[in-house]
Amino acid sequence: MSALDILLVILRIAFGAFVPLSFVAVLVWMERRGAAFFQDRAGPNRANVLGFRAGGLIQNAADGIKLAFKEDIVPGHVKHKFYFILAPMLVFITALLCFAVIPFADVLVLGDKHYIMQAVPMDIGILWFLAVVGFGVYGIILAGWSSHNKYGMLGGLRAAAQVISYEIPMGLALVSLLAVYGTVNLTEMAQFQGKLLFGFIPMWGVVLQPLGVIIFIVAAFAETNRTPFDLAEGESEIVAGFHVEYSAMKFALFFMGEYVAMFVSSALIVTLYFGSFQIPWLNTETLVANARPLVILIMIGLPVIGYFFGAWIKKNNRSHYYRENDPRKKETAVYISLLWSLVAVTEIVLLAYLVFAHGGVADRILVALLQIGTFLFKTFLMCFVYVWVRWTLPRFRYDQLQKIGWEKLLPLALLNIFITSAIIVSFG
Amino acid sequence: MLTTYLFFGLALLAVLGALGLIIFKHPMNGAMSFVVTLISLAGLYALLSAKLIFAIQLIVYAGAIMSLIVFIIMFLNIQEKDLPLDPNRWFYVAGGIIVVGPIAGLLINISRTLPATEVTVFDDGFGSVKEVGQLLFTQWLLPFEIVSILLLVALVGAVVLAGKRGVN
Repeated sequence: MSALDILLVILRIAFGAFVPLSFVAVLVWMERRGAAFFQDRAGPNRANVLGFRAGGLIQNAADGIKLAFKEDIVPGHVKHKFYFILAPMLVFITALLCFAVIPFADVLVLGDKHYIMQAVPMDIGILWFLAVVGFGVYGIILAGWSSHNKYGMLGGLRAAAQVISYEIPMGLALVSLLAVYGTVNLTEMAQFQGKLLFGFIPMWGVVLQPLGVIIFIVAAFAETNRTPFDLAEGESEIVAGFHVEYSAMKFALFFMGEYVAMFVSSALIVTLYFGSFQIPWLNTETLVANARPLVILIMIGLPVIGYFFGAWIKKNNRSHYYRENDPRKKETAVYISLLWSLVAVTEIVLLAYLVFAHGGVADRILVALLQIGTFLFKTFLMCFVYVWVRWTLPRFRYDQLQKIGWEKLLPLALLNIFITSAIIVSFG
Repeated sequence: MLTTYLFFGLALLAVLGALGLIIFKHPMNGAMSFVVTLISLAGLYALLSAKLIFAIQLIVYAGAIMSLIVFIIMFLNIQEKDLPLDPNRWFYVAGGIIVVGPIAGLLINISRTLPATEVTVFDDGFGSVKEVGQLLFTQWLLPFEIVSILLLVALVGAVVLAGKRGVN
């Protein structure tokens, strides 16, 4: 293994481990701001460091510090302490492990070497996801069971039954998708989605599998125990379900596990149905061939975006009543100067690329970075859909939930398999 | 070199899990140690570069079947006091050792006398989804279909048995 190989292994694993973790902060922030937006209120706007609130992100840091310094209580009636402690770890680790096989850029070609851009370059792809998701259930079951508490037990039962039932429509929706792509390897699936249907429509999964995408997204919502399927927590009826007895960092692990799971399933939905890292109409080869004009376009576009973003910050980040020496104005000035220095640094880097390094390896790396950006942007939007649904739909009743899973989604998924295979056999 | 250590680690875990399954009294402990065994077996399959079997072992056995068993243990909330008394336990253990002992000796002898052969590493295609699928649907189509019918029969049987309860 050369030094480059080792560097890329470290980079990929670091990406696979730290990006979901940093997205936890982004998602908690998005959840709070989203909830505030949907309910027409302000959201987190008080916690600050030296007057900087970072749009509410500092609230996350405050919460993290609070959870880390809380007393870690293991209730006296808990008989199986080992399982009680193991459960939150299992939930968190399985959520994080799922991300290992999701590609975040196309295969990186450096010289004569090919690097698959996944944290773990395994070619069983989607099967790994299905396997690891199954283990998440253990965490929930063990948490509910070892809490030895009526609410905990009910929450655990509900969550486990729900996850096990929705794995079936999810798996069946995947079967028809696998028939379309003809592979289980997620990188190959992503490459397939770079092609064009009839020469002008991107061959994304959502175009080829319109029914499958709906089934899969509904099942994915149920798998992550998010509203409208969050009966496992059901604050109004069973307090908090399976994590009612947990406190401090053990609770934080459940909480973070939920958001990591949400990020990973968004990433998977994007990978399977929304073109993964592909920029529509521009597949990897086109991007590499047109790297220079693309960079010039970005260099022109960046200040424009920066200008509008700065204007947006200026419009929103201010006191909504008269104050002497408004501190928000100072805050805004700092944010805008930060924004412009970021734009300036990016411009300098891109200019250096244009002058010194264009062609060959630099083009490949640039395209990979662009694709990582595209992938994260799409995943961010998909995460917003999760937040959107959570604050829009009410919670289902438990019998309704099982009815949707078994009586609606399952037959629809089977029908989808028949239609898909008929089309593939007759036209494909 | 690394694979040898991995093999020993996984094999040790598998045996320990199996021992835990029969030694632990509490059903949840037994089930969880069995999960450890199943996962280590999956690891052993992966070492043999049987990728599809690795995934299926994790999805079906370690994931689906065992989570159903753990779910049932939780659902019925079985505690140690609910278990039947087993006063003759050690008698059965001793009998088991006497019966299994010679067979174990035979197996050890067989593995000792195995001829030493060169180990060849298969290429990437071996054990992957495509290869196994093509083998299953060309050379082994009839057994595959027969197994599918068997599973279908089991499924219908389960539905009939579950549906009978309501009708007298």
